[in-house]
Formats: sequence, structure tokens, C-alpha cells
Amino acid sequence: MMKHRNSIAFWAGVAIFLVAVLSMTQIVRNEYPFFAGYVILQFIALAVAWSILGGYAGYVNFGTNAFFGVGVYTAVALFKATGAPLVVQIAAAAVIGMLLGFGVGLLTLRMRGIFFSIATIALAIIIETFVMNWRFVGGAAGIQLQRPPVTAPFDSYVKMLFFVQAILVVIAVGIARYIQNSRMGRGLQALRDDELAAECTGVPTLKLKLVACMISGALMSAVGAPAAMYLQYADPSSAFNLTYSVSALAMSLIGGTAHWIGPVLGAILLGSTQQFLAVTISSEINVLVLGIMLVLFVVGAPKGIIGLLRPRYRLRAGGKP
Amino acid sequence: MKRRTFLGGAMAVAVVGQGSRALAQQPPIKIGMSMPQTGGLAGGGKASLLGIEIWRDDINAKGGLLGRKVELVVYDDKSSASETPAIYAKLVDVDKVDLLFAPYATVPTAPIMPFVKQRGLLLMGNFSFQVNSKVGHDMWFNNAPWGPADSWAASFLDLAQKAGGKSMALLTADQEFAQNLALTARDVAKKRNIPVVFDQSYPPNTVEFASIIRALKAAKPDIVYVASYPPDSAGILRAVNEIGIGDDVKIFGGGMVGLQFAAVMSNLGSLLNGVVNYNTWLPESSMYFDGTKAFFDTYTKRAIEAKVDPLGYYLAPFGYAMGQMIDAAVGATKSLDQKGIAKYLRDNEHKTIVGPIAFSADGERKETATLQAQFRGVKDKDIEQFRSSGKQVILFPEKLKTGSLISPFEAARK
Repeated sequence: MMKHRNSIAFWAGVAIFLVAVLSMTQIVRNEYPFFAGYVILQFIALAVAWSILGGYAGYVNFGTNAFFGVGVYTAVALFKATGAPLVVQIAAAAVIGMLLGFGVGLLTLRMRGIFFSIATIALAIIIETFVMNWRFVGGAAGIQLQRPPVTAPFDSYVKMLFFVQAILVVIAVGIARYIQNSRMGRGLQALRDDELAAECTGVPTLKLKLVACMISGALMSAVGAPAAMYLQYADPSSAFNLTYSVSALAMSLIGGTAHWIGPVLGAILLGSTQQFLAVTISSEINVLVLGIMLVLFVVGAPKGIIGLLRPRYRLRAGGKP
Repeated sequence: MKRRTFLGGAMAVAVVGQGSRALAQQPPIKIGMSMPQTGGLAGGGKASLLGIEIWRDDINAKGGLLGRKVELVVYDDKSSASETPAIYAKLVDVDKVDLLFAPYATVPTAPIMPFVKQRGLLLMGNFSFQVNSKVGHDMWFNNAPWGPADSWAASFLDLAQKAGGKSMALLTADQEFAQNLALTARDVAKKRNIPVVFDQSYPPNTVEFASIIRALKAAKPDIVYVASYPPDSAGILRAVNEIGIGDDVKIFGGGMVGLQFAAVMSNLGSLLNGVVNYNTWLPESSMYFDGTKAFFDTYTKRAIEAKVDPLGYYLAPFGYAMGQMIDAAVGATKSLDQKGIAKYLRDNEHKTIVGPIAFSADGERKETATLQAQFRGVKDKDIEQFRSSGKQVILFPEKLKTGSLISPFEAARK
């Protein structure tokens, strides 16, 4: 009964969010909020996708940039070859990301902890080098793209991308929430705490890890796909920038990884701070500010924002009271 | 009662004072830009920004543009393409700047080209390479001396062919700018029937070049065209110094980024001798125009405080020139109408501290003014030597030439 009521509240919240985003695109004339908002939404979706593997299963993936870049370049290649519409680009990126996630999932068979993290960094480097030498998508020189005309009811492409990214956020959060409350989420938590013990008690650890990797990968690549049209330009060093990995990880950690709301809060806080600092302090100091924030949270609130909130709100997270 | 009268009087004075000040002082003209101040392009970005700031101070000392002070609105784009769309949207929609300058370099500029085209805004380019070729924006003007896309390779191969070069080796970093240069070099070589006997790309951040230089030497080319980035430029020259490059090589260099910056130059010292490389401004007799000397006097003083490149030849004077062109165009059209300014910029030749600038239809220079210069008599560990003429002799373009090529490369190294 309680769960059912929660669900209604959640989906009502989602509906309100989407309606608010859509009406914002229709009412607000100034385009800057959409440019900045797009980036924040992108980080929310990335952080939530990251935490499916990194938070629930405890496998720290440093290759967010690999998945993101694969998404960008899937979109670029498809758009250049066939002029495919945005929806197709995103869907294709999700499929490719899922396949890549399957590969990463197989890595978890042999590697755990720090070794798994290093392997994911290597993966990003390998894919970036491949793209750098792929002349069709511009290679190292990068490629400029021309956006197709925008579709109604939007009057500018950025507003449309903003809405599309909001939908991706909803999908990511919906999936993360579903996993958390399902049998799968409990299995992932079990294997995070002790993989051997989980295996012994009948948790299908390999299957769960593979599925988590595939879902997480598909989401990250899907989030990357619209970035090609957002920038109208793609180059390997921007698309595979390590910032995506570091940010996704930092946002999840600052928010807290035990509940889906953690990465959302972390990404909103860190993403908006980044956007705000970029146009206020705008110098080396903004890198410093983010670094200090991360250190403060790691030291002062190891369970993130939700860890701070939990005593008051009693979030049913992490399986512990 | 007395006190009240006094207060009233004081208030009246204050109100009148403010009113008259508001009349005399119109709002400033805002020029917006992003500039790489952190990340890989920061060294160049900061020097470029200092050049623009010196222009702002000069123009404000003269009374500003149209009698209004000039104010710069600058944000850091972290050398990344993904930051600039939001920054330029903020500059235009929130800060409501009057004019836009582009950030230093191609990567941060590329994503804003479609945006300015769609909004019909003037954008003054800052050293990007062929960003407008696919976009076709008619209100884009690049301050860099590049000129037509192929002129870079063409000028180097002209020099090489005159020195008797017949076959080419190409060594290229796997990065945006270097790959663009290599692309045009291959085209020009093909047109001129120069066989490319060695064509190698290497990943960014390669440090050990011994094996690559050995393979290059074995191919026996007599022209070696290198398109590299600062760390690899140093690595390549060190490897060449250790292994040698063979007596066949007539000319070596062309597109090595980094050999324009004081730190890299003083670090490499005598290893630079003989290398023919591109540059934009050099302290040679042919390069001084109206205001050039005064600019560098100011720059040299302020560079210490701003902690940027102490020489500042590569970017800073072009930042200043960008301002000079805006000054001329706004002065002539007597307005901030962007279409009018663009038309003026396209139709006229502009006098700047880096020489006369005229634009072709694509917003790049009509003629290339990219220098090819040969390092001569450079000693180790001395930044100051690069301030005197004769250390980098200009071989191209013809009208700025201050010497002739010494060839072959091994002879020029001594």
C-alpha cells in the first residue's frame, strides 16, 4: 500500500516535471537557461546512469567518457551517413552503448575494485584512439554538423534538445528507481557488500552485473547522442573528455549512491555550481572550488547528501536503517 | 529647522549631481568573449586576452568608442568545445553585449559558428583554422594571418622546391590543427607531383621519437613537413639532434606549434637552428607598423604581472589588431549596427599593428601573411635573444622577407 502510494507520487512528480519543462520551452524567450539547463540535465542523467553500476553494484566505472563519446560518435556517423533524425540517433546510441556495456560486464568476471576501474579508463583510451583515426567522422580534426530544421512545437533546436534531455533524465531515473526497488536491486546490493557471499546464497551475480553494465552503458550513450546536435561539432578530445567521468562520479558521491535521488541531487548541486561558476568566477579558481566541495563531502558526509538527510526523512536506502 | 534645510539642500545637490553624471556618462559598450584560461589552450588564451585588454585600455584612454567606454565581458571556456555554446548564449541573451569576439583557437570556436549565423551576429575570429568553410557565415572575420586554406603548405613547399626538394615526408600529430595542416599538405604535394615517401601520424603526448625519426630518415625524403604540438615539437627536435636526419633533407619544419612560445624556445635553444617554421609576428625590420613598437613596450611590462608569455609575438598583437579593426569600423559607420560593421570590414583594408588586413568573402585574409622563418644562431637558455632581429629570418611572404633559406638542413643547423 505504502509502495503503491509512493509510486503514484513519483509518477505525478515526473508528469509535473515534464509539463514544467515543456511549458518553459514555450514561454521563456531567453535561450541561455536552455543552454545551461541542457548541460545540467545531461549530468543528472549521466550521474544516475553511472550509479546503477557504480552505486548499486559498487563497480566504479571510470569510463563514463567512453560511453558518452560512443554516443556522440554514433550520432555523428548516423547523421552523416543517412541524415537520421534525433530519435533514431539516440536509439542507435543506446544499442551500441548496451553492446559496449556487455563487453565491460564481461570484464567484471575477472576484475574487481581498482583493476576494474583502470580497465574502464583503458577502454576509453582505446575507443578515443579508434575514433581519432576514423576519417569518416572527421578523425582528430573534428567535424562540423548542420542541424536539420526544428520540429514543432519548438521554435528553436536548443529548446527541443532541452526537452529531449529531460525525457532521458526521466527514463534514467525511472529505470534506476525500478532497479532499486526490485529483486535485481537487492541482488546488486548483496554483491556490492560481499560478492562471494552473494554468489553462495544463490544471487546470480554475473547475470546481474552484465545487466547492470548494459543498462548503465545504454543510458550513458543515449545521453551522449544529442550532444552532437547541441554542439553542432564533435572532436574526440571533447567527446571523450575525462571531465564526464570525473563529474559523473563526483556527482554520485556527493549526492549519495544508495538511493536514486542521490545522484539527482548531486548532479543538480554540482552541475548548477559548475554553470554558475563558469560565468562568475571564470578562472582557475572554479576548478579549485569543485575540488574543495568534493573533499568536504567525502570527509564530512561520506554517504553524500542523502546520508545527511536520512535521519530526518528515513529514506529506505542501502538496506540499513 | 536649520538642520532640515541643510539636509534638503544636500539631497538636492546629490540628486542634481547624479542626474548630470548620468547624462555625461553613457553606458559602456560591452564586448563579450570566452577565452581559454584553464586547460591546454590557456597559455595562448591568456596572452591573447592581454593583447585585447591593452587595446581596451588604449581606446578608453582616447575616449572610447562613439564616446562610450569599452568594457570586456570574459568567461573561461576551459579550452573545451562543450562550454562555449552556453557561454555565448549568456553573453548574447543575458549580458546583452554589443559585440562578440571569438575565443582563441578552433575547437572552442567551432560550436558557436552556427549560433552566430542563426542570430545574424558579427563574430571576430581569433586564430581558428577554417571554421567558417562549411558554415558560410558572412559576418565572420578572422584576425589570424592564415589566408586561403592551402597557402600554408604551398608557401613551405615553394621554399622547398626552390631549394631542390623533390620528395616529401609528413610527420603529423593526431590532433585537430595538425591533421588539418597535413590534409592540405597532401593535396598541395599531389598537385605539384611531389611524391610523399613517408606519411606518419602519431598519438598525442608521444614523447619518444627516436624510432619514428629513424624510419623517416630511412625513407630518404628531401622535404620534411612536420605538424606537431608543443610537447612533441620538443621531442622531435631532440630525436633529430641525436640521430640526425640525413644530408638529403633540404628543409625541415613547417607546422610545428610551440616554437612560437618563449618557454619552449628558450628550453630548446640551439636545437632550433636551421628549422623553418610558421609564425605570425617576429621582431624583424619588415614587421614594424604604426603602433607596433608601442604595443610591445606595454605588453612586455604587463606580461610579467599577468604571468603570460614574456615575448607574446604569436597571439597578443593580433588580439590588439582585432580591437583596432572594430575601432575603425565603428568609427566609420558611427554605429554599432552589426551588418554595417561587417560590410565595412569586408569592403576595406584595415591598418593595424600587424600590418594591413583585408578580408575575402569567407572572412579569412585575402592573402596569406603567415610567415615561414628560419631559426639562426640561437644559443641555449636565453629568452632575451629572441627579442633581437636575425634569430628568426623571414623567408616568406616575399614582401616581408628579411633573408634567404640556408639549405640543406644539416648545414643550417651549424
